[in-house]
Amino acid sequence: MGRGCVSFAVAGLVVTVMLLTATGTGQARLRGAGKFEVQQAVTAGFLRLGKESGYRIGLYMPNERVVLFFASSSKKSDAFFNGTSSVYAVHNLGDLEHGVVRARFGSMGWVSLRFRPSGRARKRNPQAAVCEGGATTIEDGTFVGHLSFRGEGDFHVSSAKGEALLAHSPRLRCEKGYALKFHPRSLREYVAPISLLPYENSIALLHASTRSHGRYVGITAAHGEGSPPGAYVQLRIVESRQGMAIGHSVHVDGPPGTLLTSLPGAHPATATLAPPRPFHGKAAYSEESDAWTGTLGVSLAGVSLPLTGPGFGVRLCVVSPLRDRDGCDFFKAEPPFVERAARPGWALR
Amino acid sequence: MRMRRAAVAVLALAAVSCLPGSAGARVGHGRAPANEWLGIELEGTNGYSIHISVNPRRHLILQVTKERFSAEYMTRDTLVDTDRVKAELRGLGRISVRFHPRGPVRHPSLRGCRKKRPMVQPGVVRGTIRFAAEREYTQVEVREAEAAIERPTGGQCRYLVKFEPHPREREWVSKFSAHDEGVSFLARKYRPGVIEDGGAVYFVETGEAYEAAPGRAPLTIYREVAVPAPASTFRNSHPEHLILSPPPPFSGTGTLARTPESVFAWEGDLSVQFPGLDPRPLAGPSFGSENCLRGSGCVRQDGVHPEL
Repeated sequence: MGRGCVSFAVAGLVVTVMLLTATGTGQARLRGAGKFEVQQAVTAGFLRLGKESGYRIGLYMPNERVVLFFASSSKKSDAFFNGTSSVYAVHNLGDLEHGVVRARFGSMGWVSLRFRPSGRARKRNPQAAVCEGGATTIEDGTFVGHLSFRGEGDFHVSSAKGEALLAHSPRLRCEKGYALKFHPRSLREYVAPISLLPYENSIALLHASTRSHGRYVGITAAHGEGSPPGAYVQLRIVESRQGMAIGHSVHVDGPPGTLLTSLPGAHPATATLAPPRPFHGKAAYSEESDAWTGTLGVSLAGVSLPLTGPGFGVRLCVVSPLRDRDGCDFFKAEPPFVERAARPGWALR
Repeated sequence: MRMRRAAVAVLALAAVSCLPGSAGARVGHGRAPANEWLGIELEGTNGYSIHISVNPRRHLILQVTKERFSAEYMTRDTLVDTDRVKAELRGLGRISVRFHPRGPVRHPSLRGCRKKRPMVQPGVVRGTIRFAAEREYTQVEVREAEAAIERPTGGQCRYLVKFEPHPREREWVSKFSAHDEGVSFLARKYRPGVIEDGGAVYFVETGEAYEAAPGRAPLTIYREVAVPAPASTFRNSHPEHLILSPPPPFSGTGTLARTPESVFAWEGDLSVQFPGLDPRPLAGPSFGSENCLRGSGCVRQDGVHPEL
């Protein structure tokens, strides 16, 4: 697991990639005749709002129906990578096809914007090799109108000034497996942080999670084969509030002492987790009591959240690379955005 | 003389080796060197054999061997003439000789030359050969010595032959290697009867490069030793726990163990003592390691180096 290998422009980058890859059309003749699927037409928009109080912020409309406000921060210090992000998703009450974005983010803010193109539209065709149906039109420009958002951290945005673009992708006919999906069924799926942990070579992997009153909290720590002392830690929080879906994530490349476990085959298995800031405290797991206890918590978005307690389920995997070449693989079968559960008593390896 | 690590040595050597022949020729008179090797056989003190060779690219290698130890001192011949050699082994000696043929050209059957026998011109070198190894573990000083110029007629021959270990050496059941800048350590364990002299083999190689003063040739030194040992010196009853205690010139013990951080820590007081040098540590956190079990795979661990 390489330190600092994860760039954490978070939703901004992820969604930009989605946006750009969503702009594909093609006139090329498709291979694999007879196995097609339809990629729905979509209009997407993006507004880069710059930096505010250390956060890179922006507004992203992945389709006509949803507006995402995202804020992320990342820094590298003492060779350890640290990054946090928050994404807020609400329904768009405006008509994005005509450049209108209108949405309320609960008590945090609201936007009422209209897109103003500048210059000529560009045509892009990144899916030409696998889809046909026409090119995507990308318009650069700005949004005008009102934007006000007060984040749970310490940032406040009151201007819509920034680079923007609007992309119209037509309905495409794609080779099976190549059509992009732009319409997740629930807002939570838009904000659930993608996993950035490279589990494939993990030889020690700990996952603790809880779900209560609509809030999912999952913390994962992994140590990869060959890595120096330390562990990579990811916290993912997903919740629904005031008609919004909110996702938070924290990544830290923890120093020596972050994750300590019993050795493979030792029973009862034990583990302790003590990641660095923004985490605080320490948590312990024991196979014998199947309990996740301690003072571990996280300071995030202006609040301190406990990360231990009886509501948490824990999964622990410690393997010998000489006996199990696949490493700890208990997430492999799951899609990256899933709110992963950790059932108490899950079998140890 | 400023010492650098072996990684630098390897790179330097590779860079030198990659130079075209004409680049080497520029050192002298601009003539392309012939595809000839000059070899000089010598006897050093304390039972060491010394062999000097100069290759077509005018790299001079002084090789010292005794039993399972060998050291190579590599520098550049500053002359381009095949029959003359002039080189400084910075602080360790000087070679300045001219080759004089003696007797007819021969075409001996040499190991590694396959069917195409090389052309060998026997003779002597006259001039100065003076070499005193570190702390004078061996030395030689002569004005004349037997020598030969060898011209391979095929592709590979004695000087170009690729090293190939005995096929059975690959039949290890456990293997461990550790490496740090300038040093590489390898231990292999075998089933009884696979190799002679024991059930384990230990090998270590070090490299050092001495930066040259402007206008002078650099010096690179490689040392290696391989020793067989009883299988009991290689203890790995638990796949993630290893204890190595090889015989002299090694001393001490190296231990590989998985820590609660899931780091495979290679620690201990294991060291090797080459002739004329202080013991060289072979274990510690700066060493990267790889521990392999036949049929199971390998466990790799990066070394930890302080941030610069």
